[in-house]
Amino acid sequence: MKDGSAVADIGPVINWIGLWTIVRREWSRLMRVPVQAFIAPWISALLFIFIFGFVVGGRIALIGGHHYLEFVLPGILMLNIVNAAFLQSSSQIYFSRFLRYVEESLVSPLSYAEMIAGVLSVVIVRSVITAIGILIIASLFGVTHIQSVWEFLYWVVSVSVVFGLLGIIIGLWANNFEQLTILNVFFITPLSFVGGVFNTVSMLPKWMQWVAYANPFFYFINGLRHAMIGFTEGSEWLGVGVTLALAAVMSVTVWRLFSIGYGLRE
Amino acid sequence: MTPALSISHLTKRYRRGTLAVNDLSLDVKPGDFFGFLGPNGAGKSTTINCITGIASPTSGTIEVFGVDTVKRYRDARRLIGMSPQEFNVDTFARVYDIIDWMGGYFGMKAAERHARVEMLIEKFDLVAHAKKQFRDLSGGLKRRVILARSLVHDPQLLILDEPTAGVDVELRRDLWRYLQELNKEGKTIFLTSHYLEEIEQLCQTIAIIYDGRIVRHGPKKEFVDEPGGLEAAYLRATGAEPDHAMVPA
Repeated sequence: MKDGSAVADIGPVINWIGLWTIVRREWSRLMRVPVQAFIAPWISALLFIFIFGFVVGGRIALIGGHHYLEFVLPGILMLNIVNAAFLQSSSQIYFSRFLRYVEESLVSPLSYAEMIAGVLSVVIVRSVITAIGILIIASLFGVTHIQSVWEFLYWVVSVSVVFGLLGIIIGLWANNFEQLTILNVFFITPLSFVGGVFNTVSMLPKWMQWVAYANPFFYFINGLRHAMIGFTEGSEWLGVGVTLALAAVMSVTVWRLFSIGYGLRE
Repeated sequence: MTPALSISHLTKRYRRGTLAVNDLSLDVKPGDFFGFLGPNGAGKSTTINCITGIASPTSGTIEVFGVDTVKRYRDARRLIGMSPQEFNVDTFARVYDIIDWMGGYFGMKAAERHARVEMLIEKFDLVAHAKKQFRDLSGGLKRRVILARSLVHDPQLLILDEPTAGVDVELRRDLWRYLQELNKEGKTIFLTSHYLEEIEQLCQTIAIIYDGRIVRHGPKKEFVDEPGGLEAAYLRATGAEPDHAMVPA
C-alpha cells in the first residue's frame, strides 16, 4: 500500500464526529435507565420541595425577605446537579472499563482531550435536563425565580464540570461498585448538606460558621441562590474563584491520568 | 518497500513487574497474511495491545505503513482494524449501534458510515440480528459482530487475536473464506490463533513468540516442510518435545 509519507497527517484537527459519537453513545446508554437518570432525582426534589419547603417551610419566618421554599430551592437544585454530574461521569468511565468497551475509543483516533470533552458534554446535558425538570416542578409551587440567567447558567455548568471531572477520577480509580460510591456517601452528600442547603450560615453556632465558609459546597449553593433570588451570605466572586480553581486542578489531574493511561491502558 | 507493520526492539513491562514482551523486533510485508503463534502467556496479546494502543510500550517503536503508532497515533490508528480475543463491547448495545459507533469514533461521516455498516451487516449475515442486543447473540454471532466492527473504517492492516476461538466449524470456514477475500483485496492480516491448521491454511508467513521473544520467523513453507510439519516445528520452537509419533523416523 502506501508508506508513512503517503498517509495524510491529520495533525491536531478536532475529530468532531468522534466527539459527537461519544455523546450519542452515552446518551443511548442513559436512555436505557431514564428512571435512574432523571425520574429519581425529580421525585427526590419534589419530596424535598414539598416537605421542607411547603410543609415545614410554611412555619418558618422569612429569610432575607424570602419564603423558606424560595430559599431552599437553589440548595435542592445544587444537590441534584452535583449528584447528576458525578454519577454520570463516574459510571460512564467505570462501566466502559468494567465491560472493556473503553478499548473501542483507545484503538480509535480520538485524542485524550476529545475523550474528556465527550464525557463532560454528556455530564452538562444530564445536569441541565435534571435542573430544568426541577425548575418545572418548583414552578408548580410558584417559586421559580431566576434573577440572572447567565449567573444561573455559570453555576449549573461550572459545578457540573467540577463534579464531572471528579467523577472521571473516581471512575478511573474504582475497581468495584463499592469504591464507586465511597466518595458520594462520605464526602459529597455530607458536605452538600452542611453547605447551606436548608439553613443560613448565621443559623449555625459561631464555631461552625467558619467550617461552613471553608466548605466549597457553600459557595456553589450560595452562588446559585444569588443567581436565583439575589440572596447571598458570602462573596460570589470568591465562589467563582473556588469553582474555577477546582476545575483547573481537576482538569490537569484528569489530563495527567489519561496521559499515563491510569485505569485505561495497561 | 515500507513494511505494513514494523516493530523494533519492543519491550513491555507491566506495572507489577511482569516482563511480557522482551526486545521484540518484527516486520510484516504489505499484503501478507501473517500468523503469530505462541503458547498462552507468551506475549501475543500484549504485542497486539501495544500495536493498537490498548497498552503503552515500555520501550521500542512500532510503525504501521511507516507511521509511528505513538507519535502519530491518530494517523496510525486509521490504518489498523482490531478484533480482540475477548469481547470488549457494551453488551447491552444493539449490533447496528456497536458497528456504527466505531465508525463514528474513526470520524466517518453519517452517509458513508451507514452504507458501510449496512454492507458489513449483510456480508456477515447479521441482518436478522442488527437490532438485537449483543448479549442476546450466540458466541458465533458475537464473533461476527466483532469482526465487522474491526472493518468498519476499511483498515489496511487487520489484527485478529484468535478470531475463531469458540466458533463452530461452519462459521470458521466462512470466516476463513472472508479473510482470504480481504487478503486478496490487498489487506495485510496479522492473525494469532491456537489452531495450527488455521495458520497453515491461511498464512504466508509465520512467527513464533515464546517468553516475550520471537524464537522463529519465516515463510510458512519452511515450517510445514520440516519433519512433523508445523506442529512439530512449533513445539520445538517453544521448548516442548514433539511427540515421536508426529515425526517420521
